[in-house]
Amino acid sequence: MSKAALHEIGPASPGAEAAAMGFALALTASWNPPVIFWAGEEAAFAEEGAPYPVGLAQYGLDLSRLIVIRAKKREETLWAAEQGLAAPGAVVICALGARGKALDLKASRRLLLFAERNRAHCLLLQPEGGPSAAWTRWRIAPAPSDGVERELGPPAFRAELTRNRAGPVGQTFILDWNAHARALTERALVGDLSAASRDGSFEAVRARAGR
Amino acid sequence: MKRSGRAPGDDRPLAIYAKQANAYQLTGVDKRASELGLRLAMSLADARAIQPKLEAVEAEPEEDARALDAIAGWCERFTPVVVVDPPEGLFLNITGCAHLFSGEEALRDAIVARLYAQGFSARAAVAPTPGAAWAFARYARKPRDDLEALAAFPVEALRLDPQAAALLRRLGMNTIGQLKGAPRGAFTARAGERAMLRLDQAYGRAREALTPRRPPPPVFALRRFLEPIFTTDAIMHVMQDLCTDVIAKLEIRGAGARRVELVLFGVDGRDRVISVGVSRPEREVKALIRLFREKLNVVAENIDAEFGIEAARLDVVHLAPIAETACELVVSEEGRATSEQISGVADILSVRLGAKRVLRPQMHELHAPERASGWRSALSETRDTQTLEPPADGVQRRPIRLFSPAQPIEALATVPDGPPIRFRWRRVLREVVRAEGPERISGDWTESAATRDYYRIEDHEGRRYWLYREGLYGEDETPRWFVHGLFA
Repeated sequence: MSKAALHEIGPASPGAEAAAMGFALALTASWNPPVIFWAGEEAAFAEEGAPYPVGLAQYGLDLSRLIVIRAKKREETLWAAEQGLAAPGAVVICALGARGKALDLKASRRLLLFAERNRAHCLLLQPEGGPSAAWTRWRIAPAPSDGVERELGPPAFRAELTRNRAGPVGQTFILDWNAHARALTERALVGDLSAASRDGSFEAVRARAGR
Repeated sequence: MKRSGRAPGDDRPLAIYAKQANAYQLTGVDKRASELGLRLAMSLADARAIQPKLEAVEAEPEEDARALDAIAGWCERFTPVVVVDPPEGLFLNITGCAHLFSGEEALRDAIVARLYAQGFSARAAVAPTPGAAWAFARYARKPRDDLEALAAFPVEALRLDPQAAALLRRLGMNTIGQLKGAPRGAFTARAGERAMLRLDQAYGRAREALTPRRPPPPVFALRRFLEPIFTTDAIMHVMQDLCTDVIAKLEIRGAGARRVELVLFGVDGRDRVISVGVSRPEREVKALIRLFREKLNVVAENIDAEFGIEAARLDVVHLAPIAETACELVVSEEGRATSEQISGVADILSVRLGAKRVLRPQMHELHAPERASGWRSALSETRDTQTLEPPADGVQRRPIRLFSPAQPIEALATVPDGPPIRFRWRRVLREVVRAEGPERISGDWTESAATRDYYRIEDHEGRRYWLYREGLYGEDETPRWFVHGLFA
C-alpha cells in the first residue's frame, strides 16, 4: 500500500468520519513522510471539527512536518493537494466534505499523476466514491475497544477493502493504532482470510491487499 | 499648484484667494492673470479693480494638501523616494532612476509635461541638493543644475521665512552670493543659524534629511515602458527583468527577500500593488517569478488595466540575511523533500489561498484545551515546533479534532458526578459503553471561570468523544454537557 500513490478512504457510515480521518492519519504517521499536507474545506472543518495539534501529537504525528490548508471550496482543495504533491515523498490528505459530488475519474487521475511523479502519496477522503484512479478504496468504521472493561483502548478501526487495482477485494481487517510505535496492527482475523499470515503487522495486510 | 478644472474656451483669468491678516489676498494666479498684472499677495479688492472679469476662487488648503499628496503618489512611478514639501512643493530623489528616462533633463521634462496634461502647471528643476533644486525651480528663468548659478539668486531662494529674509536684506545681503561671501561668524550671530544652515544645505555642505512620503524600500528595481502594457504575460515578461535586477542587489547585500511588492503604475494615474510573502529569504529569480505568476492569476481581474500600465517597480520591502553555508550543507535523502522544497510549496499555497489559510501548528503553555495549541501562518518565522512524543501506553487523552465552540448535548447521567450513560448529539441518541474520567480542567480561560470535568467516551458503535460537564452538581441548577472533540 505504501508504494501506490493514491488511495481513497471513506467512512463506512455517516458518523464514522473521525474514524476515517484517524485511519488516514495513522497510515500517514506510519510512513514517516518529510511533510504532511492536510487540505480540507473550511465547511468540513466546522462540521467535523478542526485539527487539534495536541491530540495529533499524541496520535503520533510529527507536528513540525504538518501543514494544514483551509480551503474555501472544492477546487481550491484539489489545487492545494496537487501543489502539496510536488514535494517529493509528501503525504497529502485531501479531505473532501460530505457536500458535493464524488471526485470524477479525471480529477483523481490528476492526483495520481502528480503523486507518482514525485513519489508522494495522496490519501483522498470522501464519503462516496465513483470511478476512480485510486489503487485502493477503504471503508472505515470505528472498532470497539476490546481491552479492560469500561476502559478505552488504543484507536481501532474496522477497515474494509472495497477496491483494489492489484488484488482481491472484500476483505475486512480490525486494526489497532499503536501511536507510540507508529504501527497499525491487526487485532484478529475476520472473514475468510485463512491464508493470511498471522504476524500481526500491517505488512500482512499489505501482502493480502496485493501490494 | 494651480487647478484648471474649467470648461475649455473659458479664458477668464483665474485667481485663488485666502483670508490673511483680516483681508482677502491672492494666494495663486494662473498664467493669464499673471500676464494681466495680477500678483501674489495683492488684495482681492485691488485685483477685482484691475480685472473686473477675474474669476476668483477661495483657497481650500485641505483640498490642496490632498491634491499635493495625490500628485506625490503619482510621482512614485518615477522614483520611490518622494518627499512632500507643503504647501506646494515636492522633492523627488532621482538618484539611480534617471537613466531609465534617458537622462535627468528628459525625466524632468516628462514629469512637467505629464502634470500639465493632467491640468497642473508645475515648475521643476534638477540639482545636486534639495535646497538648490528648490531655488532653481522657483527662481531660475531657465532650469539649470549648476550650483554656481545660485549666487545670483535673491536670499529668499534659501527657503527662509519672510522675516529672516527681510532681516538679511536690511543687513545689505540681497543675493545668495553676497551672503556666501560675507564673514560667517558675524552673520550667524545676527541672521540666525537657520539661514546659514539653509545656505550650507543648498551648496551641499550640510546634510539634509528629508522624510519620504513612504519609507523607501531597501532594494527596488524600476522599469518604464515606451508603450503601455496590458496583459498578464507582458507583466510577467517585465517581472523577469525586475526580479533579475532586484536579486543582483540582494546578492550584494547577502540577503534574500521575505516580502516583495510589485507596484504597477497605470496610465490612468492609479497604482496597483501586488504583494507576495515568502517563508524564508528568497534569492531565486525562478521562485519569485513563480509566486508572482500565481498571485497574478488570482488578482488579474482586479488589475483592471484598461488604459494600460506605463511603469512597474519591484520593491523588496522586507529582507533577511541568508546564511550562505546553510544552503550547501543540506544533504537530502533520495525522494524526500528538502525544507527548501517544502517552504516553496507553502509559499505558493499562501500566495494563492492567503496566508491565513496555510497553517502550521503551534503549542502554547496553557491548560485550557482550546488554548493549549493554535496555528500560525506557514510564512511566519520558523520556530522550532516543540516535538511532543506520543505517550508510551498509546492511550489518547486528547482528541484529533476539536469543535470550536464546543457543541451542547443532552446527556443523562445516573450518578451526579459520573459520566453520562447516554447522550443525544446531532439528533442521534448514543449509548455510552466505555467512559474514562473525569479529568478536571480549570483555570486559564478568562471569560468563564467554570470548572470543566472531561470524559473520554466510547459509544455502542465504537465512536469516541471528548465530552465535558460545565459547572458542578449542587452549585447551580443543572450542569451543562458539551462535546468538545472527537477521537479516532
